[in-house]
Amino acid sequence: MALLAIGGVGAAVPRTFLSGLWLQAAGGAALGAGGAIAFLGGESAGSSFSSVLTPRVGVDPLSGFFLAMLGLVAAPVLVYATAYLRPDPRGRAAGALLSPFVLALVAVFCARDAVTFLLGWELMTLIPAAIILAWSSGTTGRRVVFVYLAVTHLGGTGVWVALLLLASHGALGGPSLDPGSGLAVAVTLAALVGFGTKAGAIPLHAWLPRAHPLAPAPVSALMSGVMVKVGLYGLVRVLLEWIGPARPWLGALVIAVGAVSAVAGIVYALFQRGFKRLLAFSTIDNVGIALLGLGACLLFRAHGEQGWAAIALAAALLHALNHAAVKALLFLGAGSLERAAGTVDLDALGGLLRRMPRTGAAVLVGCAAIAGLPPFSVFASEWLAAQSLVHVPGRTGPVAGIVGAVALAALAATAAVALFCFVKVAGLALLGTPKRAASAAATEVAPAMWSATAVLATLSVVLGLAPGPIFERLARLMPGAPELAVGLGVDLPGSGGLRTPVLAGVLVVLFGVIATLRRSPTAASSPTWACGQELAPQLHWTGAGFTKSLRLVLEAVLRPRREITVIEQGGVVRSASYTGRVPQLVDEWLYRPTTAAALSLAAVARRLQSGRLGTYVAYLVWLLLVSLGAVKLGVIG
Amino acid sequence: MRATTVAGQLVGAFLLAPLLPGLVQQLKARFQGRRGPSPLQPYRELRRLWGKSAIAVEGTGPVYRFAPAAACAAVAVALLLVPIAAETPELAFGHDALALAGILALSRFALAAAAWDTRNGFALQGVARDLTLSVAVDVTLVLGLATAALVAGSTDLRAMIAGTAGSGPWTSPALVLGTAGFLLVVIAETGRQPVDNPDTHLELTMIHEGALLEVGGRDLALLHWLTAARHWLVLVLTAQVFLPHPRDPWAQVLALPFVLVALCLGLALVETLVAKMRILLVPRLLGVGAAVALLGIISWLVENT
Repeated sequence: MALLAIGGVGAAVPRTFLSGLWLQAAGGAALGAGGAIAFLGGESAGSSFSSVLTPRVGVDPLSGFFLAMLGLVAAPVLVYATAYLRPDPRGRAAGALLSPFVLALVAVFCARDAVTFLLGWELMTLIPAAIILAWSSGTTGRRVVFVYLAVTHLGGTGVWVALLLLASHGALGGPSLDPGSGLAVAVTLAALVGFGTKAGAIPLHAWLPRAHPLAPAPVSALMSGVMVKVGLYGLVRVLLEWIGPARPWLGALVIAVGAVSAVAGIVYALFQRGFKRLLAFSTIDNVGIALLGLGACLLFRAHGEQGWAAIALAAALLHALNHAAVKALLFLGAGSLERAAGTVDLDALGGLLRRMPRTGAAVLVGCAAIAGLPPFSVFASEWLAAQSLVHVPGRTGPVAGIVGAVALAALAATAAVALFCFVKVAGLALLGTPKRAASAAATEVAPAMWSATAVLATLSVVLGLAPGPIFERLARLMPGAPELAVGLGVDLPGSGGLRTPVLAGVLVVLFGVIATLRRSPTAASSPTWACGQELAPQLHWTGAGFTKSLRLVLEAVLRPRREITVIEQGGVVRSASYTGRVPQLVDEWLYRPTTAAALSLAAVARRLQSGRLGTYVAYLVWLLLVSLGAVKLGVIG
Repeated sequence: MRATTVAGQLVGAFLLAPLLPGLVQQLKARFQGRRGPSPLQPYRELRRLWGKSAIAVEGTGPVYRFAPAAACAAVAVALLLVPIAAETPELAFGHDALALAGILALSRFALAAAAWDTRNGFALQGVARDLTLSVAVDVTLVLGLATAALVAGSTDLRAMIAGTAGSGPWTSPALVLGTAGFLLVVIAETGRQPVDNPDTHLELTMIHEGALLEVGGRDLALLHWLTAARHWLVLVLTAQVFLPHPRDPWAQVLALPFVLVALCLGLALVETLVAKMRILLVPRLLGVGAAVALLGIISWLVENT
């Protein structure tokens, strides 16, 4: 941590800018190692949770897991930042603020009392806002930061309410709350709103797709990879540790939020043109999948199935880890493509796999991984989440069973749309030919940048090959769960088993054999066949064209808008323009009316503020009279 | 016994699979009053294509070159995953039903990426349609498998074959509804009418054929084999999990060829009687399948809790 702090100061000074960032990276790696030791060792260090409001810090296996996740993401991200950020004022500000951002996340994970937790929580929210303001000039940045702060603070009050209520009733470190009490219900709902906002769960996600694209790539990677997971961390603490086994409705509610977030997140991601905005929506989807696991865990716990509750919890947390690595990889990759080709507009990129082979290969691995393909990491955790849900009907009540089955359908749809979405990304950005001159002139980025993406890509492969040991440890986080032995892969009871290392091995061997067999003696070179036409640039497919059929199928729900303007002159078409977009229904139906109502209320309230001294004196006199009257009647005093 | 089932699985999946689409073609021709090609025609096609030179489309890279091999490797793993009888020795990477969906997704990804690399608009159109339908197909597939898994108590395919064997499970509506949903998946995954027309040579109506446009020689042979392998996968699953099958291990294996022929007959009959649907209506049809499978799960819950 000291390394991180010194590195942060160092990065602010022009002369020590680079060494400061490298120090931060070393600090991040040390942090990850420390977290991994705490997680794998299963021991707690420092103080334990306390409801007293004096600062305390400590680490237990759950904190250790999230610290390890933070370290795994932060170390490559900070190495990447050494080449990505330049020692100009903007870059120095971002570089210097990275270290307090990481330290604020550490504070949240290590806090052992409500005050430290809330301090870390607020810092973690404010520092990215400062970075975005320093990084992006102009009104867009300021507007986005305003929305970000407004949504996260309004939602974040839930965290304050939940934690202070818990602390005032001694549930932090003491006996957990009785789940049947009204207090526990209030705390649960407050925590769902508060942590759900940070996690980007729909309908509280409005800040996420706005803030992520504007931040510099390393900050987006940390925000999307780790910061949104703090919401998951908080929910696990509140719902599983500080409140006793809840009624099934809570699990059903969490599953419903997760299913909506997963499906809507990935469907909106599919229709995005901006690479980083697409990735932000995909984060909402993956948080939804983790919430599906957490909801299944709550359902199992409510029905006394501790073993399966542990599996579902471990599935959710493993998915969070896998997603952290893959999403950091993709955000860094998007940053590299932007640096090389000058844009993140997917329709303007193209052919970059050939021009930037190292970054391109890493991004391709990231696309395949986040689409849930074997043998990469997300496949294993999505399979585990699906296994948790498929066992809900058989092991819980009838209503919970139906919820589980519907959630399973939502997960299957999510996986299929994710494949669609990331094939589109890979195809538009990496394959084919460039659509703009800038993309055609792109060259490979600096070694620090591509090696950071390469490390994260390797991590996605390794986590996919051997998820077993981590999964077993995660399952132990559930109190009262029986021991689970799943081997190197994930050999679950009640399933056919998923031995990922063997599966990957067989897949690679078969691929090798078939690829060798197919090598034919001759290969005729030929142009792309387009019905006999020459493949002109105008015939290249765009993302909107590729996704049109699904947009039409979902038309009744999504209500896409499109406008075609054709300018004719004397029967000859002079020009034609097309604009189309898929509107954000939550924005239009929830946020816009709410803001409008708030603004009209403010307009009414403004009439009180005339600015004349006499009016305010009159207010004071009236207030005095009313108070005196109240005292006289015995209402107050 | 166990050696026989493994041998049957490997020989059937890797060598006999092309017979299935050949048989459907032959039967369909008979229904339409034509003589039709021999059921062995797919093998002749494969031999012919294997001898031809490949195509290297200008401007493409390794993704296009290795996509057919990657897609075939994924489907080959899926073939190893699906046993033909309950009494099959445990394979080194398990027999899980839900893993099947992920592995098939890999082949879809490879072919779609290859279409992007060639920039062929018709290939992209076919792939985009396939991916659109895959959303509904995946939901129906997973819900159908979940119904059978619920009846059998495990998602291990061997346990599912054993758990749905005999007449017992058929007295409750759950499995019947699950089967109804899964049959729609069979039509979609084999690329047959009313979802897709395997005989089409009109680019604007293509779905699965679209991905083949830019491929030649051995790669095309691989993709033809892939279609045949997909027939084997879903038809074996239908026969051994979703249709009534005997409990006796030998009878399970011996009955399989007859059920497969009957299923091919059914596919040929559907192809003859039903016209191709408007593409945007297909997800609705599959959605009905998903809803039916969900009803199956609900009816199981009502009965057993």
